[in-house]
Amino acid sequence: MKTRAYHRPRTLDEAFALKREAGPDARFIAGGTDLMVGQQQPATLISLRSITDLAGIDVGAPTKIGALTPLADLLANKEIAALYPAVTQACHTFASMQIRNAATVGGNLCNASPAADLAPPFLVHGARVGILGPDGAREIALEEFFLGPGRTALADDEILTHVLLDKPAPETRAVFSRKTRVRMDIALASVAVLLELGDRVCRKARVAAGAVAPTPLRLTAVEQLLEGKRITPKLMADAAELAKTCIAPVDDIRTSADYRRRIIGVYIRRALEELCA
Amino acid sequence: MSETIAFELNGQPVRVAAEPGQRLLDLLRGPLRLTGTKEGCAEGECGACTVMVDDRPINSCLFPALEVDGREVVTIEGLRGPDNRLSAAQQAFADAAGTQCGFCSPGMVLTATALLNENTDPSDEQIRDALVGNLCRCTGYVQIVDSVRIAAEHLRGES
Repeated sequence: MKTRAYHRPRTLDEAFALKREAGPDARFIAGGTDLMVGQQQPATLISLRSITDLAGIDVGAPTKIGALTPLADLLANKEIAALYPAVTQACHTFASMQIRNAATVGGNLCNASPAADLAPPFLVHGARVGILGPDGAREIALEEFFLGPGRTALADDEILTHVLLDKPAPETRAVFSRKTRVRMDIALASVAVLLELGDRVCRKARVAAGAVAPTPLRLTAVEQLLEGKRITPKLMADAAELAKTCIAPVDDIRTSADYRRRIIGVYIRRALEELCA
Repeated sequence: MSETIAFELNGQPVRVAAEPGQRLLDLLRGPLRLTGTKEGCAEGECGACTVMVDDRPINSCLFPALEVDGREVVTIEGLRGPDNRLSAAQQAFADAAGTQCGFCSPGMVLTATALLNENTDPSDEQIRDALVGNLCRCTGYVQIVDSVRIAAEHLRGES
């Protein structure tokens, strides 16, 4: 299908009115780096790029990241790098400079790829997402936002407006890593781990993985295994083994389910080693 | 239905009709006759179509043409240094054989320019990192990295 109409509303009200008029054939578009690939374009596109209220980063308790914030801006933000290094790591390895200048935080989540790079670090930081529709606003946990590959909790006429991240407690450390063959690849598997350590004892653990299930997911069993314990090499190995049983990877053109299972174990062990070093 | 947009192209104001769903790449190469911007993969992997929008390099194959309304666009044709000579990156690519067949060069030079605008003393790792979204199918990466390093030296006044 060819796009017959491309609207550039300046306000959310205008965007909702355009959507109501155009119906289900219309789609909202942000940076376009996913939607502009390929020839199957929606008949009507409603661009959110001119709605300036939707972009911007406000670090605080919680931290608010506008859905239309380009990845490049998230990468360049020094306060984000200081408080959320795993988020900055995910931005750094996110595609290329050209893609990061166009692609948006909200677009990466709404595209709902199981391999979305921002999902694991956001999940370990307790992300909630703000959703606005013609009938009002709601907020849900990021875990509840992803329903499957390409599927989210957004209704057809709703817009993701922002992401909220918990302010990390002192002594929180977090790391993100992803496995690819070459840098521009989509992640074969990705991991984010957050630990809050006191006297070498793990007070809080958050573990999330990407590209190993229909959605990015938290590995809550692994979190429970780690919490309240001293993190020893034995516990790291146990966590890595347990992680392999919490995921549902598939064989696809990029790699096998078996490899994904193995690499998740390795990456979780390495993340724990790095955070406890 | 086409729409007339107005933007600054290589320093000059332009008004041109753009179609819904049209890629910036096609607007530049078609009606605007600027064929220095190349189409490689058409999916944001190769960087041959790189242009600057508001001083930031983007893939013009993924950028809706209508979105440049009111913005500043610079293509390889508009890149120049002081005194209207070649820019440091352009000159270094010519001097250090950073160009082989030339197809990737416009994108390479623009991405390198964006890096050099932020950092005039990049390490080789930072250069390679900045260029991950630009593929050279002649695989002349060593000379390309050399070119960017030489351009940086020039900008720092060391050569």
